[in-house]
Amino acid sequence: MKTMVYRLNSGVSRLFLFALVAVMPGLVQAESANDAQAVKALATDSSGALLVLRDSGLLVLDDKTAADIPLPPSDSGAQPRSMAKGADERLYLAGPGLGIWRYEYASERWHSLNDTLPDLGITAIAAHATQPETLYAYLGEGGMFRSRDGGGEWVKVDGGPREPVQAFLHSDMPGSMESGWLFAGTTRGVARSMDCFCFWGDAGELRGAVTAIDYDPSAPENVYAVIEGQLHHSSDGGETWVGLEIPQAITALTFSPKEGLVVGTENGDLLSRNASGEWVPVHE
Amino acid sequence: MNKWFVPLVLLVAPALLMAGGAPPNSDSLPTEVAKGRQIYEQYCAACHGWQGEGAANWNKPDEKGEMPPPPHDETGHTWRHSDAMLFRMIAEGWRHPFNKTDRLAMPAFEDTLTDEEIQWVIEYLRTLWTDDQRRYQQNESQDINQAESPS
Repeated sequence: MKTMVYRLNSGVSRLFLFALVAVMPGLVQAESANDAQAVKALATDSSGALLVLRDSGLLVLDDKTAADIPLPPSDSGAQPRSMAKGADERLYLAGPGLGIWRYEYASERWHSLNDTLPDLGITAIAAHATQPETLYAYLGEGGMFRSRDGGGEWVKVDGGPREPVQAFLHSDMPGSMESGWLFAGTTRGVARSMDCFCFWGDAGELRGAVTAIDYDPSAPENVYAVIEGQLHHSSDGGETWVGLEIPQAITALTFSPKEGLVVGTENGDLLSRNASGEWVPVHE
Repeated sequence: MNKWFVPLVLLVAPALLMAGGAPPNSDSLPTEVAKGRQIYEQYCAACHGWQGEGAANWNKPDEKGEMPPPPHDETGHTWRHSDAMLFRMIAEGWRHPFNKTDRLAMPAFEDTLTDEEIQWVIEYLRTLWTDDQRRYQQNESQDINQAESPS
């Protein structure tokens, strides 16, 4: 009888160990993918994997795996706040005190693009939708800077909208005098200018401090902006806006080739819409 | 000394004001600029202003829902465009994409003006900008040329 109990216990232990070994990586991955920290910024890489920026770091997340990318070095402990994907899929990070950095996937290294910036107080960056070497940066009272050589040389091009810019976007929506449009999420709403910096005007009458902005590359008139955790959608290039119902407060958004619109939440979740239009967790 | 100062100011001030704010006299302009100014005054000034000052409230839609004609002087954004873009705008016209009307608010002049005459107008517009703006516009034109030239 004792032998039977021992064998049974031994079997249960083995089964438990086996189950633990099988399930543990999944648990670790789930914890890593959602550690309950608010999502600060979102982007995608060339394979369509999500790049998730939180205070804890930068995570690459696809259907099966999650991996960390170390953040750029900073003596002052400055944290990135803004993330952009270039037209050639390269990744850019920026933040006050950090300046602007480009990640090289091949060498897995960050490269500083700060040599010609007057200081490191960058609060928002944007990458040109179709020109890989053209980048935009907002330097608070320093104004708007543009680089046409991938960040080698930055030139001040404009003072920017009247209110401070907190989120920044370049779009290839048709109709510009030049090569596209700039949307700036300011403390007052969304400001819009052709990318000649001809002048900044209100994009519709959406009011409030915009913390995130993005657009649908496959239908560029569709622009999305986040104000106080609420998601707003414009289907006419920013002329009119409607609020979208989402069960959580939104902090970041991006367009994924696989998932469509993906939002990051205050609780650290990632949500996308299913075929029925319901918001469901990504990769679950 | 004071009794000479006031008449002197009255005599000199108008000349200083003219030198600072008025457009250059046609007689002193290079030929191309003078021709450009003449064409500008004939075809453009009625909408964009005789001094290139643009329409009032040019950066907000008017009652028809159209963006009014912008200034071409240093207060506008004409200097932000390359020569190629300025030429295209004058030749082909322009409708702001968010205008509520369908018409070309800026009419096309390709059937009215020759290529050379359009270039002369652009030469004249340059005289309405600051030195910094002229440098910016020159760089824009060079960047566009480089981007469009085959490598």
